[in-house]
Amino acid sequence: MNCRSEVLEVTVEARQVEEAMLALLHTILLHRSTGKFHYKKEGTYSIGTVGTLDFDCDFIDFTFVRVSSEELDRVIRKAVSEFKDALGNSGSDGMGQISLEFYQKKKSRWPFSDECIPWEVWSIKVNVVNLANEQERQICREKVGEKLGEKVINVVEVINRHEYLPKMPTQSEVDNVFDTSLKDVQPYLYKITFQITDSLGTSVSTTMRRLIKDTLAL
Amino acid sequence: MAHFDTEYQRLEASYSDSPPGEENLLMHVPEGAKSQWHHIENLDLFFQRVYNLHQKNGFTCMLLGEIFELVQLLFVVGFTVFLANCVDYDILFANKFVNHTDSSKVTLPDAFLPVDVCSARIRDNSFVIFVLIISGVFWLHRLVKFIYNVCCYWEIRSFYINALKMTMSELPYATWQEVQARIVEIQKEHQICIHKKELTELDIYHRILRFKNYMVAMVNKSLLPVRFRPPVLGECVFYTRGLKYNFELIFFWGPGSLFENEWSLKQEYKRGGNRLELADRLASRILWIGIANLLLCPVILVWQILYAFFSYTEVIKREPGSLGARCWSLYGRCYLRHFNELDHELMSRLSKGYKAASKYMNCFLSPLLTVVAKNVAFFAGSLLAVLIALTIYDEDVLAVEHVLSSITLLGVCITVCRSFIPDKHMVFCPEQLLRVILAHIHYMPDHWQGNAHRYETRDQFSQLFQYKAVFILEELISPVVTPIILIFCLRRKSLEIIDFFRNFTVEVVGVGDTCSFAQMDIRQHGHPAWMSEGKTEASIYQQAEDGKTELSLMHFAITNPQWHPPQETTHFISQLKERVHREATGASDTHPLSLSESEPRSLIANLLGGPSTLNSVHFGRDSSLTNHAAAGLSDGASALRSLSPISSSLHLKGSLSAAHRAGHTSAMSKAMASSGTDARTVSSGSSAWEGQLTSLVLSEYASTEMSIHALYMHELHKQQSRGEHSRHTWHRQESDESSDSVPDEVRSEPNPHSRNFPRSHTFPTTVPSPSAIPTSASATSSTMLGQGGASSQSSTQQRYSGPATDSFGAGGKVVRSARVPMGGWAEDGQAAPRRHEPLPEESSEDEMPPHVHKIT
Repeated sequence: MNCRSEVLEVTVEARQVEEAMLALLHTILLHRSTGKFHYKKEGTYSIGTVGTLDFDCDFIDFTFVRVSSEELDRVIRKAVSEFKDALGNSGSDGMGQISLEFYQKKKSRWPFSDECIPWEVWSIKVNVVNLANEQERQICREKVGEKLGEKVINVVEVINRHEYLPKMPTQSEVDNVFDTSLKDVQPYLYKITFQITDSLGTSVSTTMRRLIKDTLAL
Repeated sequence: MAHFDTEYQRLEASYSDSPPGEENLLMHVPEGAKSQWHHIENLDLFFQRVYNLHQKNGFTCMLLGEIFELVQLLFVVGFTVFLANCVDYDILFANKFVNHTDSSKVTLPDAFLPVDVCSARIRDNSFVIFVLIISGVFWLHRLVKFIYNVCCYWEIRSFYINALKMTMSELPYATWQEVQARIVEIQKEHQICIHKKELTELDIYHRILRFKNYMVAMVNKSLLPVRFRPPVLGECVFYTRGLKYNFELIFFWGPGSLFENEWSLKQEYKRGGNRLELADRLASRILWIGIANLLLCPVILVWQILYAFFSYTEVIKREPGSLGARCWSLYGRCYLRHFNELDHELMSRLSKGYKAASKYMNCFLSPLLTVVAKNVAFFAGSLLAVLIALTIYDEDVLAVEHVLSSITLLGVCITVCRSFIPDKHMVFCPEQLLRVILAHIHYMPDHWQGNAHRYETRDQFSQLFQYKAVFILEELISPVVTPIILIFCLRRKSLEIIDFFRNFTVEVVGVGDTCSFAQMDIRQHGHPAWMSEGKTEASIYQQAEDGKTELSLMHFAITNPQWHPPQETTHFISQLKERVHREATGASDTHPLSLSESEPRSLIANLLGGPSTLNSVHFGRDSSLTNHAAAGLSDGASALRSLSPISSSLHLKGSLSAAHRAGHTSAMSKAMASSGTDARTVSSGSSAWEGQLTSLVLSEYASTEMSIHALYMHELHKQQSRGEHSRHTWHRQESDESSDSVPDEVRSEPNPHSRNFPRSHTFPTTVPSPSAIPTSASATSSTMLGQGGASSQSSTQQRYSGPATDSFGAGGKVVRSARVPMGGWAEDGQAAPRRHEPLPEESSEDEMPPHVHKIT
């Protein structure tokens, strides 16, 4: 696949899942968002500002910075809480993976639909543990905080690398690169998906697609 | 207070922080997507299509070809059905008379049945309906595929035109290397692949050939069940397109295959933990696919027959001999393919070897058949002569029933018979032919060398190079055999397959999961017997067989001179090139000498001098020395004529060096060598070449160069393995005093009488030839002891047995010291390869002294 993929792994307690996920997703999105673009007539544009705010976690000794956009927060919270519910309902040993995929759209001609081509995928693997007593919880609280701090630095390091990013689009193409639906901030197009435990084998749909494509190929 | 009128004024408070003209300062200019070619989603497919379009000579050619194919298919099916159902053959054969009123002539339309009768006949025949439905479905499938392809390739076309700046009209005349160079160039600008700033040639090859490399590696490690030993037929290879398709379906892309998508192996297969469970799952999958194959068997069978009929009848009608012709089998293509070798490279290589290969196979015409064929041809010929003579006398003979057809049949019969009668004036030298073949196909099992004249070798070679007829036949029975192979043979190997994919898959940044063999890393997969001794850390399981890693590496480096391999690989390549280079120049330098003394010194001279085994045998015997060596040389040269670039350049070299022996000879011949050799030397060294050699010329030289390298490596391998073998026999025969070095000397002499033909990589152990024993035995023992009289005697003998003794590692040290008095040129020829070779030094040390001491 023509796309970078980064994997983060965290081990948390069940009640910390939501905050830990929020912390990581928000951190990544903070660095992958810009202010709104204002295009001028001459084909230039200026970039609006991005507000940030500190967010204190309740169950973890941790504070992270996120984009101060309620809309974005709402979208992410929704995805995360779905993930948390799915994880809770799965009843398995509490393994899950949430992935944040940045993609760009490519317009194609009539017979084909628009392609979404991912260029960076962050996979966060979550391992949920059960703790016996309050003391352990306390230790876990601090430990997870430390771990998350490391991950955040990790994320920043990766993002600081000079690597491929989609080129800044012209006005007509801005929807192919950025998510312009939010009022106050403009992240790169992203998609949050999750998966509970390793599902065995590829899904039927991908296999079918592959089968059809392969029979069609020369 | 006085009011001073000063310049001081109160400043107006400015409430905007930003300086005036802020809008202009923070302006950005969007780069936009200048091209649509940045960040392509599926680079595997993309590169494959780029390659395909190049191979199909551009969009228009491809389009036309596909359209014609569709029309042809329609026509063939329609016409066959028409012929079978709508023609009244009785009228055509004049068994039935038509009552015409106006004329007695029968016209073609008279023979056609009316439309309603015709359609009724078709409707009644359920088999025809069945065939029609199958071909209809197939045709529709082709049509959809065609439309899909047109859309996809249109995009590739615009990639060629807009990004690569190549028009479709110039595409057929551009080499793939040029296209590839442009893609590499493009990457810097457009970032097709987002992982890397720059693409390398190897990345592109990896992507195009990802699965093919796996298949080549699996055939190389004999993992795929393609060799069988059915009770009657003896050992045979069965590998058809159907089987190949099923293998690919199981491993790479079918439902539940090992690969998640084109570029990555599924995670669970990368972990060793639950390999047994995975193997079970794979086995059951294979079972299901086998059963599906079994169920679909009739449909596929009918399809295969139709397909074979449609695609080959025309060919057979056009040239009936083509069935007797041979082609490289599918297994051969897999066995002979280098890692990272594109189709066109493989095909051109094999096509070059075709002539020599068919010549080689013709050496083995059965004498029994020849006798029969001669006589049949005689009788058929006399009948034909009489018929033709009668016809010439009076052409009414032709009108007699069946005369024309019997003339035709007799003609065909004679043609067939003639193919079994060898040309009277042809002299076959199988050993040399095999060497010429090797120069092109680059791979052969060890035990072929020196056994080229044997029937077993021929049989094994025919597995790679089969009759076209056999090929078609195998394709036809494939639908029946494939499920059996899948269910009974492949299923048993499921654990090995799982292990193979786990052990030999590496994740390469920017490429994805590839077969680790395809990395061509000498350290990981080198075989110590193939020049990577000391460099390789591979266990036997990891070593690629037949020197595949080393040869592939050389091949890739030579075909892609721009490629920058990793450090140690570069070292290996340059070292090898240097050696070959030195040998090449050395050969030309010593040619005059060697002709006079009839003693080709170096390996290259050996290569040219025909089979070195012959030479060494002859050198062992003092008497027949002069004639044979000379004869061998000229024979070899003539046999290598098909390798024209090599031989001509080397001839040229020889003549050059003969002309001006001194002074700039070496410089000249070096220039000659470099013209054919390394493109990097060319580009870096002499700028004069740089302008003149277009890439096409370079690639032509590259194949020649690769041939030289392949021959050289095989030669060296043979010598090394012989040395190794001598070590083993040595250990075995500790107590036997006299026959210490005998096996080496004798092994080179193919013994036609020995019954046990070698099946493995070991060399035949044969009866010691009486003449060889005293020579070598005395040579080694006496020189080791350092006795004056003995050593002087041995040195004279060593001189004659030069190449032969050189070949066994045991004699390495000794021989050189004994040769010192002979002069500098001996050092040039002999010591040069030694210097770079860690093996003989070591081996001679660990095997020689103890045993020699024991003997004395």
